[in-house]
Amino acid sequence: MAQHVSASHGEEVSSTRRVIAASSVGTLIEWYDFYIFGSLAKIISEQFFPKDNPTAALLATLATFAAGFVVRPFGALFFGRLGDLIGRKYTFLVTLVIMGGSTFVIGLVPGYAQIGFVAPAIVFLLRLLQGLALGGEYGGAATYVAEHSPDDKRGFWTSFIQTTATFGLFISLGVILIVRQSLGVEKFTEWGWRVPFLLSIFLVVISVYIRMKMSESPLFAKLKKEGKTSANPLAESFQKKDNLKMVLLALLGATAGQGVVWYTGQFYALSFLQNACNIEFVQSNLIISIALIIGTPFFVVFGALSDKIGRKWIMMLGMLVAVVAYRPIYTVMYEGANLKKKTEVVDKTTVEHKLEVKGTDSLKTTITKKTFTDGTTYKEVKKEKFPVDPAKKAALPKDKLKPETKKETVLPQDGFVKMIGLVLIQVIFVTMVYGPIAAFLVELFPTRIRYTSMSLPYHIGNGVFGGLVPLISTRLVEATRLTPDTPPTDPLAGLWYPILIAGVSFVIGSLYISNRPTVMDVD
Amino acid sequence: MGIVWAAMGVGIIPLVILRAMKEIAAKPSEENWIFWSIVIVVLMPIIAFSLITFGVFALKGEYDRLD
Repeated sequence: MAQHVSASHGEEVSSTRRVIAASSVGTLIEWYDFYIFGSLAKIISEQFFPKDNPTAALLATLATFAAGFVVRPFGALFFGRLGDLIGRKYTFLVTLVIMGGSTFVIGLVPGYAQIGFVAPAIVFLLRLLQGLALGGEYGGAATYVAEHSPDDKRGFWTSFIQTTATFGLFISLGVILIVRQSLGVEKFTEWGWRVPFLLSIFLVVISVYIRMKMSESPLFAKLKKEGKTSANPLAESFQKKDNLKMVLLALLGATAGQGVVWYTGQFYALSFLQNACNIEFVQSNLIISIALIIGTPFFVVFGALSDKIGRKWIMMLGMLVAVVAYRPIYTVMYEGANLKKKTEVVDKTTVEHKLEVKGTDSLKTTITKKTFTDGTTYKEVKKEKFPVDPAKKAALPKDKLKPETKKETVLPQDGFVKMIGLVLIQVIFVTMVYGPIAAFLVELFPTRIRYTSMSLPYHIGNGVFGGLVPLISTRLVEATRLTPDTPPTDPLAGLWYPILIAGVSFVIGSLYISNRPTVMDVD
Repeated sequence: MGIVWAAMGVGIIPLVILRAMKEIAAKPSEENWIFWSIVIVVLMPIIAFSLITFGVFALKGEYDRLD
């Protein structure tokens, strides 16, 4: 008897692992597909959205923003409804096929130079499809895994879904880097950028094959067998007060705060290192990558911990420490790269001038290299383009003559390690708020409308509140410039947006969210 | 607390619109228009609607029975 119990327990664990693997791989591929567009945005913009064509440029802006935060909630509603009507398994198979198919086709679309305006229009539509698919995927995967998990392990099992967004980003960057290194920059820019998109089809075929073999979620299957599925999940989710109040609580008390903490720790930190601290491209990406590698297991740690002590206070603590610590952390980051606080080794400073004449234009390049006593190195490349004819130069407005300056700081070993530590602290905040959230969301809603109800607050919280972090934060920093040519008086002003949103979420979540353990059944 | 959330939801509407009008009047660039359009069309309605409705539910004691 004991042996029989042990064997069936072993089978159960193995089956749960298969469920997690099948769901996570698919979700990871969807994140990969979504991120390669963002990571290759510059090349895509050159191929499909030329800046001199205003309509194409507008489409580029819409593609960036619309897919991120307008279309995702619609995808959540559309596929969430489908998932509550026909089942989780088939719905998130559909989202996977749409995402993979769109990604693959983007890799095949001829450029603007070949087919004109049709090219950006097709890419724009495909990007919208990607956003729709992503909106449907996460809720399906989280619900599917949660409905397979025992009540006391739900935080642990669903936390693997939470790691996929980070791994998807890694894989997209890794594939791009490998293809770029293998082909060389020239070939990559010419056609090699299409390879990561085309590669997606193989990943999707494998994932679809794995998912096809999975069975429907046991809770949904039971619900369907008993004829208790919802006839109209949208109306039931958002028109019935008892459910709508939970959707609003999930959004305002959890996902909005989680979204801004996630985007700040994972994306704004990189932007801050590159733009405010002027840390060199490779070093800044290494800082983020290493911090993410070290920090990612904590998604699972906090997911598992939430099974023991409840979801609420881990998420709330994550938001609170983010609110309190963001400004001090970013102050230390900023000061760590602040050259005014370092001592220059004047003997090692070099200034190089180059003047090239191309037709009627001159290009003057000034390269300044500095070394500091702590080992920091600094390189500034200033490019000034002006007409050879002095009369024509004098006639040009000042802003046309404004030099283009690129600044690059490379930190010494100890400064580099310190930066990793500072970003890692933020990644830990991310894992605290994001690790337990899938389990928290699925437990908030009944099985019959779970997919619909949990998907919308998640995608509004992450897509809208989180997705707007770069735009609003950059804007807040720019507002502190006294004139367009002077540096910002407060380079940390961009943090006020995530601090405010996470602060409000913390108060609402602390006051109203329940920390009671939840038993999930067919209702 | 419900009244606080509802008031925040109501208060954000004129605050954002006035700020947008002021900034666009000062610098009517395409960048400004896109930024404020996103804030007014996407972000503001979500914040206002959710805070007002949440505030009304909180006022009616809908969340008191959760714990």
